Formats: sequence, structure tokens, C-alpha cells
Amino acid sequence: MSTYTDVTKGGGQSRRSDAAEARIALAKRFAGCMFLAFVLALMIGTQEGTQDDFGYAFRKSVFAPRIGIFALIGVAVFLAVTFWPRIVPYLSRAGVRPLAAGALTVVVSFTLLNWTDSTDLNNGKFGGLRPAAAQTGGIDPVARLFFGSAFSLTPWLLLLIVVALVAAAIRFEDSSTLGYVGGGLAIVFGIWAQYAQSAVRSFLDYPDHSTGAGVALLGFVTIGVSGIVVARSHGKADSGGFFQRVYDWRPGMPLVALGAVVGLVGLFSAAWFSPTDRNAGIGLTSTMFHGTGLSGFSAAYLAWLAYVLFFATLILAGAASYLRHHLLGWVAAGLGVVSLLVTLYVMHDFSGLAAQSKFDGATGAWDNLGTGGWMLCGALTVLAGAGYLVARHEQVEVPDAAPGVSSDAALAAGSKLGPALLVVIIASALFFPPTATQFWQTVLVTEIGIYVLLAIGLNVVVGWAGLLDLGFIAFYAIGSYTTAYLTGRLPVKPPSFLELTPLAAIPFAIVICLVAGVLLGAPTLRLRGDYLAIVTLGFGEIIRVVANNSTPVTNGSRGAFNIPPPEIHIGPLDIKWGDNVLGYWYLLLVFVVIVVLLFNRLEHSRLGRAWAAIREDEVAAQATGINTVRVKLLAFAIGASTSGVAGVYFASQIGSFTPENFILNNSILVVAYVVFGGMGSLPGAMAGAAVLTWLPEFLRDQVPAEDRQMWIGAVILLMMIFRPAGLIPARRRRAELGGLDKKDSSETTAVPAGEGM
Amino acid sequence: MSTPASTGEVVYDVRNVTLRFGGVVSLNDVNLQMFRGEILAVIGPNGAGKTSLFNSLTGVYTPQEGTIMLAARAGDVPVSAIGKKTHVINHLGVARTFQNIRLFPALTALENVKVGVETRMKSGPIASMLGLPRQRREERESTERAFELLRSVGLAARANELASSLAYGEQRRLEIARALGTDPGVILLDEPAAGTNPAEKRELAALIQQINAERGVSVLLIEHDMKLVMSVAHRLVVLNFGQKIAEGSPEQIQKDPAVVAAYLGTTTEEASELVGTASVTKIDTDLDLTEGDV
Ligand SMILES: Nc1ncnc2c1ncn2[C@@H]1O[C@H](COP(=O)(O)OP(=O)(O)O)[C@@H](O)[C@H]1O
Ligand SMILES: [Mg+2]
Repeated sequence: MSTYTDVTKGGGQSRRSDAAEARIALAKRFAGCMFLAFVLALMIGTQEGTQDDFGYAFRKSVFAPRIGIFALIGVAVFLAVTFWPRIVPYLSRAGVRPLAAGALTVVVSFTLLNWTDSTDLNNGKFGGLRPAAAQTGGIDPVARLFFGSAFSLTPWLLLLIVVALVAAAIRFEDSSTLGYVGGGLAIVFGIWAQYAQSAVRSFLDYPDHSTGAGVALLGFVTIGVSGIVVARSHGKADSGGFFQRVYDWRPGMPLVALGAVVGLVGLFSAAWFSPTDRNAGIGLTSTMFHGTGLSGFSAAYLAWLAYVLFFATLILAGAASYLRHHLLGWVAAGLGVVSLLVTLYVMHDFSGLAAQSKFDGATGAWDNLGTGGWMLCGALTVLAGAGYLVARHEQVEVPDAAPGVSSDAALAAGSKLGPALLVVIIASALFFPPTATQFWQTVLVTEIGIYVLLAIGLNVVVGWAGLLDLGFIAFYAIGSYTTAYLTGRLPVKPPSFLELTPLAAIPFAIVICLVAGVLLGAPTLRLRGDYLAIVTLGFGEIIRVVANNSTPVTNGSRGAFNIPPPEIHIGPLDIKWGDNVLGYWYLLLVFVVIVVLLFNRLEHSRLGRAWAAIREDEVAAQATGINTVRVKLLAFAIGASTSGVAGVYFASQIGSFTPENFILNNSILVVAYVVFGGMGSLPGAMAGAAVLTWLPEFLRDQVPAEDRQMWIGAVILLMMIFRPAGLIPARRRRAELGGLDKKDSSETTAVPAGEGM
Repeated sequence: MSTPASTGEVVYDVRNVTLRFGGVVSLNDVNLQMFRGEILAVIGPNGAGKTSLFNSLTGVYTPQEGTIMLAARAGDVPVSAIGKKTHVINHLGVARTFQNIRLFPALTALENVKVGVETRMKSGPIASMLGLPRQRREERESTERAFELLRSVGLAARANELASSLAYGEQRRLEIARALGTDPGVILLDEPAAGTNPAEKRELAALIQQINAERGVSVLLIEHDMKLVMSVAHRLVVLNFGQKIAEGSPEQIQKDPAVVAAYLGTTTEEASELVGTASVTKIDTDLDLTEGDV
């Protein structure tokens, strides 16, 4: 309220009307929030209905006591919005953000995520598992205590206690004890959660890919860290981001901490072998392989070497990070990589041996491995990355705006966290997929990965060059049909000398798409904005309709089938991709990495700047000597060829496709991904595609099938309201939203004296 | 001050140029010669056709009648500028700035200049993607050259700020640096002092003279600020309603009744009386009346 009365100035008459206006505004906001609550109640409510009773779902979700909860949510949102100015100062206090993030993470783990894949104890979600596990006699009592054998709300209470303690520490600024106690308890509770879950897992003796306990641990540890930050900051306001501070303090430390957690869980808690039948940890695995003819080295690894390697790497990386010692950093990185290779070798060794004897029906090496080995691999990668970052740290640092510094270095200076994040992403991309379920592996390979590649390509056209292309999927189609043609799976056969394996079709697909890109680009370049969008949309449809109707050439609506999987035969290298989904993931990863590396250079090159120039001001770009036609055609061609590569991959991975795979809808989806992620931002476009392809699959388990699109729509809507520049906004785009009149920062600064005027 | 450094070689030879937009005649039978090495100012009231002239000279507009021959750099063979694309004319050695600043706001100051510098470079997308040695060398060179240019317009300390976050006067100078990045023989400045303060105007005058003297760039300048024009220009051309009404040295122009009439909106006869009585300072201030439009 107070914020509104402040505004009123002037005489009695106008004061009253101002106050009235303020009241009306408040009333409007309240109505809006209540409407939001009402919509939310409908969204989360049942969607059932019958032919004769359309209002069923409505009455079920609105005329029921549950509406009270949603009304409370509405009031909470109203209060939060209204008192936001008062809340803001608290948000910048030390530890507040990690506390909020940690608490939210734990809540997500307790509500949304699976705690076990088994359905023996209810549905595997925490809410179902908790009471069942608490009452099951066979489970370890310490674990049952966590699930609340004493009091049904125990886990929530634990969360509440630590949050309250840390919050109190933040409120009473000079109390560092509270911070330490809260933080320490939080970490203990996190380990307890992990322990409880592993007890359930060993009780159920069921393969497990659930993430719930891991996420809970992560959340509790984040709360713990926030407690420690509060205790250590002694009430000094924390202006920068929390991780940034730690990173500035000791680069590499966050990575070391992450590596330690993941590695410890991998070594001591997760299964290494036979996850379906034995759920064998590394100790049990070692015993199982005793005397089976496993090589002495691998046996030694399982018995003790694994621990030695991990702890040695951990200690070295930790010491290097703490001391900021370059040489130690290199040593840690080297040891990490060696340990990683050794671990992979040993995993291959013993799983291959087991597969030879058809243990658990394994068909080959890498089958039948648990998550433990992969977690250790991920941890070692992260630790090696930490060492590398420390080793490289001083060399990377550049003073801002020093003469001679490339502008891109300055652009990058804002994101010192970038490299650390990159290490985590690399580690997860390499070693997370093997631990995922078959379902998620398939999603990764057939949805997420492909759309990431497409989004990278479209980002060149839409994000960098600023040309709205709604027919992008056409190039994907051209790539797919090129593959089908060159592998001899279309009615028209290629000349025999041209018959190729799918991977060898890539150069051809690239060239054909380059040409197609130019062919589309050339006549449309005079068009801008909406007109260009419409013409490209038409182009996309033309390709699809032609493919659909030229049956003698393209096999019409039946499409192409039996396209062989990719294979490589170069010298000693002899790989053939088969049924293993994971293999395709790594192939795709190679594509994505290559494209990202190349495009990242491109963005910061002459051409990248020229694209930005024509996007920002075409007339000025021309007057500065940029051949806008050439530059635009290059954007079309480069974007198109990326899409073509994705098409080759798609065709040979999926094996068969029809023109229906290339409908307009898909073009629009890719545009949506790029916009959602952040136009013009390479990581943004990738993240946008990844999140929006992941979300529908994730929601499959969370909400009724018919509701899925609604939830996705809600997410996109919220995103566009609160983060219009996208998930990871482009540095070069962020400015545009600010506009030209945002120059308050510079007005005061005079021209430096003595500079050549 | 105003000693023409001209060599007598013609940079721009504009003959009988007429430019129409429907019924509006923006340029009416304009004849104009610009000589190498000179600072030639184009003045005239708003809507006189000054910017239209610039646009015709740079290929943005195509005049319906007349010829424009261009030989921007010493030793060039004159070629027609009519019908050539803007970027081609830029490559022939003509750079310009805009009346309404047209920077690339989301690029840094340095990048803005690099865009200009790099239009003279060769490495293509493949070289950039692979980071070939030649591309790396060009990248380094372009950064160095852009920095040198920023320094010469006094923006080196601002190099890594976004163009949009620069102050108005700085943006104007950045535009000049970007134009110079293309290594022009002629630079066309469209109201470079508009919206700047007196101190900035003095610095700008010095900058224009420096560009002309040290870089040997011929300057074609549109400017409303008479003090600035009179101090830097070697020669002036006056446009009114699309027609050239006068041409000559600053002193000649200040006394020209037709010019004063154009600015004061009176007939030439009345104006010539005025010229007889009024001091030059008086006319200076009167001529300034039109300043400040964008
Ligand atoms: N693109 C255009 N379309 C229509 N009329 C134009 C265009 N450009 C300039 N004009 C007209 O030409 C005349 C001269 O304008 P301009 O060259 O901008 O004058 P100045 O720069 O001297 O103020 C004006 O009447 C203007 O309306
Ligand atoms: Mg003008």
C-alpha cells in the first residue's frame, strides 16, 4: 500500500483521485492474481468429461475444497508482487539466492521426481514412496526414520528446520553460529536422504535410474553452502552472484566440490555392475569377478586402484584450486584424464568378460553396467576440468578495455563462469546418457539432439542475420532425401559409383543444401520481415508437397525406408551403428561439437559481425561496404547445410521417413526453440531446443497426456513475459531491448584527456 | 584558415542531376564539382535536398536525370556513380555518416569500426570457421586498425562499450571512425555536429581538419552550424528547394544576397539590403536558426 500513497502529490482534490486510482490498480491486480489461481486450478484439475456432461471437469476442479489452496496461491502471488520492492533488498543479501534455489530443488525432488523406478512401493514418487517405505519392516531403520516412521511429515520438517535456521541466520546478521548449524544440518540431511534412498533401492533390488534422492542431496547441499556463506559473510551484503563469488575466490573450487559429491556417490553408493539382478556396488563387483579370469589390472582397479585414483585426483584438484597453483593444476588435469581412461578401460574389460559368458543376458561390453562407473567418469572429468581451469586461469584473465584486447575477449569477460559450466556440460553430455533409461536415451537421440542441431542452424539465419525463415525444415528434408537417394533407397537410383554409406552422404547433403539455400535466398532477399517469412514458409511447403507427389522419384507419401545405419571403415577404424541407441548419441555429439566449434568461431569473425550489422541496420551496413546480398546468402546457405547434416543423421538413424516428417509445424517448432532459448545466442538456441524437446517428454509422467500442450504453453508464456530475450540471451541482442536511449552510464564520463582530438 | 588544399583533380563531378519523388523535386538540375583534397560544405535550409544529394552520391537514390562521375582516390579513372550499389560505391572509396546516427547499436564501439575495416579484407567463412592463419592475421590487423581509428576520434577508452551506450557526441564520432575504417578517398559527413555541445563542436572541427590534412581525405560536409562550417570549409555550396543557389568561398557566401534570402525567407532584393547593413555576426546567428533538426 505504502508504495502507492508515496506517489500522490499535490492538493486535496487530486490526492483523493490518485489514491482512488491506486486502489483501483490494486483491485485489478488482486483480480488478476485470483484469476490466475482459478486458471491454475483448472490446469491442475481433472480433465475428464463426458459427452452429456461437459461441465464435469470444471465443477470437479473449481467447486471443491481444493479451490481454497489455489486461492491461497493467488493471494500469495498478489502479496509477493505488491511487496516486491520491499523484498528486493533481502534478495541481495548473502546466501538468500542459494537458500531459495536449494529449498526449491528439494521441493522439486519431494514432489516431481522419481525416487525409484520400481512400483513395488507405490508409484516411485516421493509422496507415494514415503509412507510405504516408512512402514516396510525390511528397510534399514535409519532410512525409515528419514521417511518418517515417527512422524509422517518428517522429511518436510527437516527441510523446514534447515531453511528456518539459515533464514534466521540471514535475518540476525551477526549470528554465524546459526549459519554453520543450519548449513551443517542441511548437508547431513542431504546425505541422509541419499542413504535412505539407497536403502530402499537395496531393499527393492530393482534397477534404478531415479534422480530424486540425488537432486534432494544437491538441494540440501546448496542450502548447506548458503548457510556457510551466511556465516562467513558476517552480514556484508552480497551484490554479485553467489557462485561468481566462490569462483572469484578460488576458480575451480565449485567444480572440485561437484566432482567430490558425484565421485563419492559413484564409488560408495551406486551400482557398478548388473544393475538389474545384483545391483552390485564396486566392492561386490570386485568379489564377483574374483577368479573369473579378469585381468590382474582390472581386478586391482576394482579392489583398490579406483579409490586411489579418485582420491588422488580429488586431493590434487582441490589443492590446485585452493592454492591456485598452475603446475598442480596441470598435474591434476593429467591425472584426471589418465584415471578416466583407466576407468573406461576397466569398465569395458569386466563388462566384456561378463558378456562373453552371457551373464544377465548381456550381449556385449558396456551392457549391464550400473551408474557407478559412469558417475566416477563424470566426476573425474569434472575434476580434470577444474585442474585445467586453474592451470589456465591467469592466462585467460584480461583487463577490461585495455588497448589491443579483442572485443570478443571483453564480451566474454562478463561470463567467467562459462568455462566451469562448459566442463559440467561436457561431463554430463559424455557420461550422463549411459545412466539414463532406454526411454530417455531414445528421446535424447531422436528428439533433443536433432532439434539442437537444427536450432543451431536456424540460429544462423534468424538469430545472427535476422532473417525470419519459416521453411527451415525443407533443408532437413533435402538432407534426408539426399541420404535416401545416395544409399539407393529411392525409386531413382544413383549411378553405382555414387552409392554411398550415410556418413559419406554428408558432404553431398551439405553441398546440395548450400545450393538450395542460395536458390531460396536469391529471389527472396529483397523481402524483409513478414514477407520473407511467408515466402520461406511457402518454400518449405513446396519441398514437402513435391516430395509427397513425385512418387516416381521420391516414393511419394510412402517415403523412404530401409536406409542403412551409419558406418565408418577407415583403416583400422571399423564402426557400424546398430540397435544401440547410445552409439547414435555419441555420433550426434560429434556432429554438434564440430558445428558448435565452427560456428562459435564464425560468430566472432568478420562474417559474424557483418551479419550483426545487416541485422541491426541494413542501410548503414551497405554504406559501410558490406555486400548485403552475399552476406545474406551465406547465412541462408550455412544455416541450410547444418539442417542438411541433421537430415542425413535423422534418415540413417531412424531408417525410414515420409514427407509427413517435414511438415510446417516442425519449422515453426525450431523457430520457437530458437526464440525461447535466445535469438542470436548459440548456447541459447541449443538450450531452447533441449529444454523444449525435453519438457513434453518430462511432462508425460507428471501431468495427464491431454494437458501436456497446455503446460508447455504456460511455460513459454511465462518465459516470454519474464525473460523476453530468451533463456540465455545473446550479448549482442540484449542491448537491442534496451534501445539506443540507454546511455545514462556514459553521459557523465568525459573524453579522456590527451587523446588525439 | 580557408586555403583550399585542392589539387584541381575532380573527385565528384555532378552534372544536371535531377531527383524526384513523385511530385517532389528533391534535386533540381544540380551541377557541382568537388576537388580532391578540399573540404566542401553543403548548406541550405531543411528540406533543401542536402541529404538527397548525399544519397544520390552514394547510390542510395538513383537520380532520374544527369550524371555523377566519381574518382574517389588519386589516380582513379572516373566512373559513373549512378546505378551502382551503395556497397560498390563504398568500395570505390566513398564513406559516409548519417544525419540520424546509424550505428550498429548491439555491437561494441570497436566492433562497429571493425565492420568497416573488415569490408576491405578477404578471408571467407571457411577460413573463419577453421581459424586459418590468414584469417587470424586479418583479425589481428583489423583490431589494431580499429583501435587506431578509435584513438584518433578519442574513443579508445570506450572501445568495448556497446555503441548504444555511448553519449550522443561519441556516437557521432564513432560513425566517423567506422567510415574511416573503410579507408575512403572521400568522406561524406551529414550534420556531424547536430545535437553536440560547443566543446564537442570545436573538437569536431579539429577532427575534420585532421582527417582532411593528415589522412588526405576529401570531405563533403553538410552542417547547419555556421561557425563550424565557416571555420573548416574551403568552399561552400548552397542548396535551396533542390537547386544550387550559390557556390564560393565562405566569405563570398556570407555576403551572397541569395543565400541570406534563402535563410531568412525574404526576397533577394530585401536580403541584399540586409547584407549591406547587418554585420557578419548577425548573419551568423540568423543562419544558425535552422540548427537542431534531426
Ligand atoms: N525517400 C524519399 N521519399 C520521398 N521524399 C523524399 C525522400 N527523401 C527526401 N525526400 C524529399 O526531398 C526533399 C529534400 O529532403 P532532404 O534531402 O532530406 O533535405 P535536407 O537534408 O536538405 O534537409 C524533402 O522535401 C523530402 O521530403
Ligand atoms: Mg538532411
